[in-house]
Amino acid sequence: MRFFLFLMVCCIDVSAHAASVELTLPNKLVARAEYRKGDPGKPAVILLHGFLQTHEFPTIHRLVEGIADTGRGVLAPTLTLGVTHRQQSLACEAIHTHTMKEVEGEISAWVKWLKARHKGPIILLGHSFGSVEALAYLSDKPDPAITQFIGVSIIEGRLRLSSAEAGKLISEMRKLAQEKRPRVVTHQFSFCQKYQATPASLLSYLEWTPQRVLDASAQLPLPNLYIMGGRDDRLGTGWVDRLKARNRVKVIPGANHFMDGEHEFDLLDAVLAELNQTP
Amino acid sequence: MKPQSISRLAGLFVLLVAGFILLLGGYMWLEMERVSAEIRAREELSARTEVVEGLAELQHRARGMAQALALWDETRQQLSFTEYYTLWRDSRTRDAGMISDEVEGVALYDKRGHILAPARPDSPMLDKLPGPPPLALLQRETSGSHLYMFLPVHADPDRRILLGHVGIKLDFTVGLLRARAYQFADLTHLQVDLPPGSALNLAQAAGHLRFATRLNPDLASFHDLFRASLIRLVIVILILLFLAAWLLGRLLVRPLRALSDEIDSLREPGGSLPNKPARASPLPILELENVRRSFSDYQARLSELHGNLEQNSRDFYDQARRDALTGAFNRRAFDEDWKSLGEDRRLGRMALLLFDCDHFKAINDTYGHQVGDLVIQKIADALQQALRAQDRMYRLGGDEFATLLRDADAQRAERVAERCIEHVLGQDFRQYGMSEPTTISIGIALSEGDGLTLHELQKRADLAMYTAKRPGSRKLVFYSEDMGGMAALVGNKEISAVFQAIENPDLIELHYQSVMSLPMAQKEYVEALTRIRFEGELIGPGAIFPIVQARNLDMEFDLAVLRALERDLTRGRLPAGQGVSVNLSAPSIVNAKVIDAMVGLIRHHPGRKIVAEITETALITQIEVASDNIRRLREAGCLVALDDFGSGYSSLRYLATMPVDLVKFDISMVRLLDSGERRQQLMMEDISNLVLTAGYQMVAEGVETRELLDKVISLGFSHAQGYYFDKPQAPA
Repeated sequence: MRFFLFLMVCCIDVSAHAASVELTLPNKLVARAEYRKGDPGKPAVILLHGFLQTHEFPTIHRLVEGIADTGRGVLAPTLTLGVTHRQQSLACEAIHTHTMKEVEGEISAWVKWLKARHKGPIILLGHSFGSVEALAYLSDKPDPAITQFIGVSIIEGRLRLSSAEAGKLISEMRKLAQEKRPRVVTHQFSFCQKYQATPASLLSYLEWTPQRVLDASAQLPLPNLYIMGGRDDRLGTGWVDRLKARNRVKVIPGANHFMDGEHEFDLLDAVLAELNQTP
Repeated sequence: MKPQSISRLAGLFVLLVAGFILLLGGYMWLEMERVSAEIRAREELSARTEVVEGLAELQHRARGMAQALALWDETRQQLSFTEYYTLWRDSRTRDAGMISDEVEGVALYDKRGHILAPARPDSPMLDKLPGPPPLALLQRETSGSHLYMFLPVHADPDRRILLGHVGIKLDFTVGLLRARAYQFADLTHLQVDLPPGSALNLAQAAGHLRFATRLNPDLASFHDLFRASLIRLVIVILILLFLAAWLLGRLLVRPLRALSDEIDSLREPGGSLPNKPARASPLPILELENVRRSFSDYQARLSELHGNLEQNSRDFYDQARRDALTGAFNRRAFDEDWKSLGEDRRLGRMALLLFDCDHFKAINDTYGHQVGDLVIQKIADALQQALRAQDRMYRLGGDEFATLLRDADAQRAERVAERCIEHVLGQDFRQYGMSEPTTISIGIALSEGDGLTLHELQKRADLAMYTAKRPGSRKLVFYSEDMGGMAALVGNKEISAVFQAIENPDLIELHYQSVMSLPMAQKEYVEALTRIRFEGELIGPGAIFPIVQARNLDMEFDLAVLRALERDLTRGRLPAGQGVSVNLSAPSIVNAKVIDAMVGLIRHHPGRKIVAEITETALITQIEVASDNIRRLREAGCLVALDDFGSGYSSLRYLATMPVDLVKFDISMVRLLDSGERRQQLMMEDISNLVLTAGYQMVAEGVETRELLDKVISLGFSHAQGYYFDKPQAPA
């Protein structure tokens, strides 16, 4: 099956209808995305990349290719994170001013953009923190066209702090954010040891605690599936179990956080299998 | 060109070589300087090329850094949201590794080129872009020179949406130094030739940069090494050169000079090379020794040659003064010895002896010249033996010899002369086929310190010798005063007259004496008797014929007489039809020219009786030739008379052999008839009878009286002549 899919990807790759598209956001920033026009009768898929990454991140890129090859329309935007025409992964040490809210706005803009081109249902797929961002979008005011959510390697956005310390930090960030003065803080966040951001930016992400993620995932009003790697070392201990406890979770044995190597096919198989269940 | 000494030439050569070496060294020095300057120029050019390349690389690097910034998402982020621009500028750009430490400053500019925020004081940036990017500027500031690189920042990859501009600032010197490795350019003290605060495009910066060219250490080392080596080499060469010059002087110049001095010494009389050369050189030079040896050998051979030449010269001198036939001194030696005595000087006591071989011409003609030469040699040997060793004997010519006895009186001279005569008589001439004895006549002249000159002494000896040669004379005759009459023999005037008469017969004046036929005493013909009219004087036969005979001029003189006779006959000085007799000497009768002239005379004057009187018959040695010629004359119509019969010059022998017509008795014979002695008269009668019986007509000379005429008539003489009839007279 994997080999068959590999051959299929190789053969159809050249014939895929790929296009780089741009979207001017309300804040005048221009966001980029890769768009594969698919069968109008099939649900289109929006793929959200991981934290600070672009749509060209390999895990997303492989999924774009694999899903597009099945005839489904695929849109893989790159979140601007405050950078117009962003093309590169944003460094942890960059001055992050973007907030979860802005991300949700961009997702919403892209959903609208896709809806203008695809009349059918839309499935939202996020990788890593992109899954959290998708949850945030879906938890707030999701577009009705979104009919399904797949979270791959969804991360808890954890701080390497105890709950008390995390709470203290969040409180501190809230206090700083309220000061309304330009300021940048540096703190460990997710896989960044020195994440440099404005207090508001950092706070917007910190507020999506693991519990809030679990809660959001459990409360999604649409079908969802979480595909997790069996050997994802970027997750907190028990995160997958806690996720399983409240959601439909598919674990790919041996796969890491990025589902790379031979597990990319497992991921694709899992995704396609989930997609195929959508009429 | 004036010759120069070898030392001067050697010194000049050394100086020339030294000068050449110095010039060569100087040339090499200058050439090295030129090459160094050329290399330096190339290095400077290479340095400038390096700097130009460095500028390009710097610009490239700066552009790369600026480009990286321009393409960096965070740059676009800052151009979109400038709230955290300074943080990004001051920290993030460096923390992210987007700019290197050489970048002094980073700034973002909006689309209009205005800086987003004032730059840090410690790293000022231009507040406004000086022009549209891309732009690379070299800015001269108080803090130094800086490179500004400005690039546009676009939002989209297609560079259609301009967001703003990014600028970076680098320390120009540091950036240029880091741009590349410099082998030639030394940018340690790089200076930018720009006024403070001014800027220019980096592309034009090369012309405003002042920097040093790094010395090529290898070249500098080589240059220093070459200089030092060249100086050392020149010094060593000069030292060696002067050492070579010193050695040249010691080994070559001094020996050459010594050799030259030695050779110069050869110019001195008797000079020669020393056997051992002067110690001019401590090291013998083969070539010089060869030259010296060659000169020595040459000088030895030259000396030997000189000795040979001197010997040859002496030999030639001696030979030139020696008679080749006899070995006696010759006429030249005689004349030189005479001159050494001084011709005009008064002589002391001395005796001059002249020797003459009697009848040598007859001997020569009879026995041939070879025998004649042998006779002369024999006589010379005899005379040399007879003389003292210190007495020189001279052969003056033919058969004539002489010697000069110094400090000799008459007795000694006579003893020497007699000894000479005895030695000659003691010689055996029969070995040469000769039967008759050979004698010599000697004339002696003495100088007793009486003031005689050499010329006078010689003249006296000549006269004495001629006297001794006369028939019946003693063979040894001293000069005496009564011989002055014969001075003609030796007088220059008479001798000159004879020679000139031979050349010009018109000087000969013939006197004619009648020859009477007997017994009627009628004039039958005349005898032509020779005189010479010379310088107004009439020279008689007594002076003429001794000279002719002494000088052996018989044939030539007879021919002249025949031409004079032809002149007289042609001019009619003799009556027509009158016969004439002419004397022919013994040498002439055997001479074809004389016979031809005689025959011609006869033919030119037919009808005249022509008589040839042959004189000195005793001297006729070629009897057969003479007989043939006589027959030829007779055949031509000439009568032939044998003259002087009865004198020493004629004899019965010739009477018996000569085919003559007449026999002319010598006056000495005719006078026998007047002697009064019966025996002499009988002998004359018998001789005349003998001649008459033989069929000859007889002519008597010297008839001066009637009595004598009668006597000759009685003896049967057919002709007579003499003063009784007439004296010789010149024709009218």
